[in-house]
Amino acid sequence: MAALRHISQSLLRNFLKTEIRPNPETCSVCIRLLNYSSIDYDDKHDPSPKFFNKEVQSLLKDLTRIDLGKVNKRKRLGSDKLEEPVYQFMTDEELQKATEAAIKKSEELLQIPPVVSVRKPINRVLSEDPALQGLEQSTMVFTDITFGIRDSDRLIVVREPSGILKEAEWDVKNRMNQLYFPKEGRLLKPPKMFFGEYFESLLERKEYEFILDRACLQFEPNDPDYQRVTSITYQHVNDKGGFEMLRSTRHFGALVFFLAWHKNIDNLLLDLIETSYIEEGSKLLDLYSKLHDVNFKSSNDLEKIEEYIKNFAKKKAGLELGVQAYKDVLKQRQELEEGIKVAHGLR
Amino acid sequence: MNKLRGVARCGLPFPPPTKIIRFQRQGCTNRPFYHIIVADVKSDIHFPPIEQLGTHDPIANENNEKLTSLNYERIRYWLSQGATTSRPVQELLGLAGFFPIHPRSYMTAWRNRKLAEETSKIETTGTNEQEKE
Repeated sequence: MAALRHISQSLLRNFLKTEIRPNPETCSVCIRLLNYSSIDYDDKHDPSPKFFNKEVQSLLKDLTRIDLGKVNKRKRLGSDKLEEPVYQFMTDEELQKATEAAIKKSEELLQIPPVVSVRKPINRVLSEDPALQGLEQSTMVFTDITFGIRDSDRLIVVREPSGILKEAEWDVKNRMNQLYFPKEGRLLKPPKMFFGEYFESLLERKEYEFILDRACLQFEPNDPDYQRVTSITYQHVNDKGGFEMLRSTRHFGALVFFLAWHKNIDNLLLDLIETSYIEEGSKLLDLYSKLHDVNFKSSNDLEKIEEYIKNFAKKKAGLELGVQAYKDVLKQRQELEEGIKVAHGLR
Repeated sequence: MNKLRGVARCGLPFPPPTKIIRFQRQGCTNRPFYHIIVADVKSDIHFPPIEQLGTHDPIANENNEKLTSLNYERIRYWLSQGATTSRPVQELLGLAGFFPIHPRSYMTAWRNRKLAEETSKIETTGTNEQEKE
């Protein structure tokens, strides 16, 4: 049993590495890093309608497997001093109320960051006036600071030295929004941890939650940089098997959606089978079928997984071994139970 | 009598505006920075303004951008109340596309271009002469 599990794991680790290959159509920005390339959600196949679907959302939430202790855990942010815990005596009613409040709070904390397609470059010229050439050596940026406008709706225009008046590009817009209406924790320039060797070292140290939290804070979800950072992190998690680190955080849903969207759920499915969460495995396949309009004939969880392995899986060998191991475990359990019953003289 | 006074203002607004949208220099020595404010026409330049409508930084930042912020909603309101604008603010709003472009902007641009042409000419002829020598 243990040997089987070991073989299936090693099969996956060694020669069945991720095979998400961005086809030239779907990938607009490809930056090589750690042998991983960025995979954007492009605007040809917009993921947002499917992501915001209620059924998909509830499936993602179920797969996140909420653990209240982990969600409400104190995070090591370094700034605050530790407080002494408060112990309280409560009646049953009060306890129930407190638990409900905790669940409500955890739902807020576990909101999945939106999955949307990457934004298009802005190229909107408002007027051209070549007679203004020579007036300025630098570009003039005009920001509307009218009260009560959303950052995305704010009018930010640029007058270039050539006299062209046009809408500001995305990076200038973000910079101006952050300058005049700062968001706490967001920096004017993206921090170095998202680039080059710094990013690599973070990934090697498996600081996945830190990367994803900071990316959520720093970037808008349609930012190419956000999609680069998150997609590379998701691929890393998928290959190194770091699902447990992200489980019960807000990023797990986005991770699962990413993997299912790019038809690369085999590692996650094997992880679920090995840890005997067959029901969740079946939910994962439901999600897969919703995203790719595939129907599974069988309604039984295990049969559904077997059908998936037969028809769609890329890593059949490892998954079949995993399912076999799970079946053996079930068998052993049954035998054990029967043995116990016999020993107790029940049969 | 009032009518006569109106005629005497030669097309300028009547009654004469009491509020003006203008720059107010903040910053410090050798580092200008301006608030765009609305104030009484006759008030001292350092008096506290009625309202601040924006900012203007005349020195370019590291990305070679000069930054200006404008509260268009309040600027519209004050203009509707009959406030005038000072010439630098008119030029700025012209470049922002809020006003028509001020003639002075065109003049400055033209003069700068002419100056640049002349200097480049002098440089080229100067170098030519040097080469001849």
